[in-house]
Amino acid sequence: MHHDKKVTEIHHDKKFSVVNPSKMCQPMGAVQALLGLKNSMPLIHGSQGCSTYMRFQLTRHFREPIEVASTSMNEKTVIYGGEYNLMKALKNITEKQSPSIIAVASSCLTETIGDDMAGIIRKFEDANPDKELPVIVPISTPSYTESHVEGYNRTIKALVENLTTLTAPNGKVNIITGFLSPADVGEVKEILNDLNLEGIILTDTSENLDAPLSESALNLYDGGTTVGQLEDTANSLGTIALSKHADSAGEFLEKKFGIKLISGPLPLGLENTDSFIRSACQLADLEIPENIEKDRGRLMDAMVDAHSYNYHRKMAIFGDPDFVSSMTRFTSEMGMIPTVVCTGAKSKRFTEDIETISKEKECSPVTLAGGDLYDMHEAIKKVGADILIGNSYGASIADEENIPLFRAGFPIFDRLGAQRISTLGYRGGIDFVDRLTNTILDFYYDEAGYEIVEEEDMIIEDQKFAEEEI
Amino acid sequence: MPYKLFDVSKPIPERKEHTYVKHCNDPEDCIPKCNSKTIPGSMTERGCAFAGAKGVITGAIKDVAHVVHSPIGCTMYGYGSKRYPTTTELPDGSEFPVKDFNIKYIIGTDLQESDVVFGGMKKLRQAVRETNKEFPFVNAIYLYATCTTGLIGDDMDAAAKEMEEEIGKPVIAFNAPGFAGSTQSKGHQIGNDTLFAKIVGTTEPPATTPYDINFIGEYNIDGDLWLLKEYFNEIGINILSTFTGDCCHNELGWMHRAKLSVVRCQRSSTYIAKMIEEKYGVPYIKTDFFSTEYCAENLRTVAKFFGLEDKAEEVIAKRMAKVGPELDFYREKLTGKKVFIFSGGPKSYHLSIPLHNELGLETTGVSSMFEHEDGFEKMKDRVKEGALVIDDPNTLELEELIEDYDIDLILGGVKEKYLVHKLGIPSLLIHSYENGPYMGFEGFLNLARDMYSAIYNPVWNILEFQETEDPDVADVTGEAAEEVEK
Repeated sequence: MHHDKKVTEIHHDKKFSVVNPSKMCQPMGAVQALLGLKNSMPLIHGSQGCSTYMRFQLTRHFREPIEVASTSMNEKTVIYGGEYNLMKALKNITEKQSPSIIAVASSCLTETIGDDMAGIIRKFEDANPDKELPVIVPISTPSYTESHVEGYNRTIKALVENLTTLTAPNGKVNIITGFLSPADVGEVKEILNDLNLEGIILTDTSENLDAPLSESALNLYDGGTTVGQLEDTANSLGTIALSKHADSAGEFLEKKFGIKLISGPLPLGLENTDSFIRSACQLADLEIPENIEKDRGRLMDAMVDAHSYNYHRKMAIFGDPDFVSSMTRFTSEMGMIPTVVCTGAKSKRFTEDIETISKEKECSPVTLAGGDLYDMHEAIKKVGADILIGNSYGASIADEENIPLFRAGFPIFDRLGAQRISTLGYRGGIDFVDRLTNTILDFYYDEAGYEIVEEEDMIIEDQKFAEEEI
Repeated sequence: MPYKLFDVSKPIPERKEHTYVKHCNDPEDCIPKCNSKTIPGSMTERGCAFAGAKGVITGAIKDVAHVVHSPIGCTMYGYGSKRYPTTTELPDGSEFPVKDFNIKYIIGTDLQESDVVFGGMKKLRQAVRETNKEFPFVNAIYLYATCTTGLIGDDMDAAAKEMEEEIGKPVIAFNAPGFAGSTQSKGHQIGNDTLFAKIVGTTEPPATTPYDINFIGEYNIDGDLWLLKEYFNEIGINILSTFTGDCCHNELGWMHRAKLSVVRCQRSSTYIAKMIEEKYGVPYIKTDFFSTEYCAENLRTVAKFFGLEDKAEEVIAKRMAKVGPELDFYREKLTGKKVFIFSGGPKSYHLSIPLHNELGLETTGVSSMFEHEDGFEKMKDRVKEGALVIDDPNTLELEELIEDYDIDLILGGVKEKYLVHKLGIPSLLIHSYENGPYMGFEGFLNLARDMYSAIYNPVWNILEFQETEDPDVADVTGEAAEEVEK
């Protein structure tokens, strides 16, 4: 085991290109956030490929219908500006889908030509004084800056900034989730329920993206956060951003209304969930209820039960920054060794988190912030990994390295149940520990329960011996 | 009136001319308006020109590195998205080092704001150098313009030319930014034009035979090509070049040496077959290999060109003996079921007749995201009186037609699939298949089996919660009785 306290960073010769990206564009982050709004329609102001590509990625991940509208810009409108297309799209969506809210995300195309979306939206509203219009919120999400993580952040901020109104204290806590599985959002809601604390979830995908087979599921994003809840965010006890990278709305509320913000960590793993429970209890001045303590005990029990199988296994982890850093901490808590950690977003907060974890847990993973899957694969080849945690794009790497891929994150299109992958909180943690350890048992142990790694080595030795004899 | 406005589309009256209801006495030019620019906010299912060029045409080529000159989004969404499997075999007998390289790797320039302001040419050139260094085994590098690089005016062709000289292997630019044209179809055309202009005629095949064909517009979705190739090989016909399923860069260069071009996907690739005919005198024929009838008929046509009719009959007889009895079973099960075909393009006219003739299904309607007039004419010809023929339908229209027309099965894409399921109707992936291949004799059997398994999924019979287990008792209570009547 390494005991270097310094984080190893790999720098490749490859500086100008990205090979197999581990990040997506800002409008995708916007759509991810908007899917948790009730009766809403996300509209991408750009060429229609953007919304089609995003729908394709999202729908094959969740296996649910996903609606994203487009202003369908083409050569001509690119020259004259997108006003006509945006006005027309707002009219058509308003009349055809009658949503409560249309959130308009820009794209690289409309940012490059410099369309004034806020101005066009005002013009549309002024032109329709008699009609009952949906709330329309513009969000600037140019794809050529940062990543989907920032797109998510900007979207929550735009929604809160445009809609929040100070009325009377509501005794609730705002929770900015970041892009989580519906199961994880559901678990956060369960924890609040256990604490007897009411939350405003920004945004709540737990129903929309894991919907029953029923016609009513086709009503435009039937579940989720309402416009009323967005308006009420200024009256809450405080804001907890589960994602440190999606806390700008919380900063805004803190600055403007004095609503206390607690930023991260993502409640994934024992210590991070402890932090979340502490934060929530602090904000609302609550005692920790017995059932939560019991769940914590069960997670520890699961970790102890699993330890002999996963002790000192090497982990490579990739995905969104909060997910990767929390997963690094969690697997370290389990006695595993993170050897490669990779996120596509360039993030100081991410590298700081990894540094802290490395010091505390005495590990020194190769850290790729702003890295791609090609770099990650090169790093795995150098320092080794027994298991890879990440989305479906890791499958060919895992296959080539002959290690299992434990699927978590986005997108997962080659397995079922992405919407039900549960990792957050003590209960999600238990689920994770069991499934990860069972993956290790499936891969590294035989049917009688014996570890098969040595046996394979023995076979190789035997072969060598045999070859030498010949 | 031959045109129909769906109730859900009443606020967008322009949608009416895109939805045609077939009447046999209508004049020939009565088809839906198509290949026109998309109505903003109409919830289109269409994609962009970049998707058409990289996603459909070039993404199937196995030995080239694809460099997308874009902010991160286009690169990411173009990564491994289509089921175009490739082998490592190259025509000269050598091996390409990575299987499915086209699916496993994508390269991008990850443009930043400063690149948008100052231009991305330097970054593009560097990206090509790095690509050549990291993947020295690729035989060419393809560059793709996107919305951003189309707007900032980066000269892709100049960069390609310069880099080609520097690295000493072909570098080709595809100028199909997302905003070009009305649909992904524009990208198909640009892909054809570019490959023809830059590659065809630049290489010579290692060997030729008197029986060489170009197999054009066959992308090897889920292994279609590999199945059809068996038939051709058994007949004695040699596929000299495939455009572009499981093909390599050099292979496209010697397409001018074939005796005949056989065009499979007529929407996306008739362009190049025409250009090869005009410039090099290689004739082309449009073909169709969906279903046993079409497959047999078209194998005969191709074989006849080479005087190999007898061999074709042998292949057909052998395959029919293999699949015929099982198809009989599925015909019995599928007869009378109503199907709606929601395809990208030609599948909407390839499938309607065979599904009826060979499997007994009724085609209630067909639609396409990106077909042009000629395709819609064929679609119209091949459906029955009263059938719908729709250009670029959206999900609300799909919901309405499922309810109004009592559809039993939708053949569509993944974006529609789960919506259809929520309505209690089965749906099958027809763009990239469920358990393909779907072409050829065995492929049609796969399709029949998948349709059967979708329609006869036992879950569809137990959707409603029964208040009580005994249906007689349920009849007594008013609500349940009403439910039964419905």
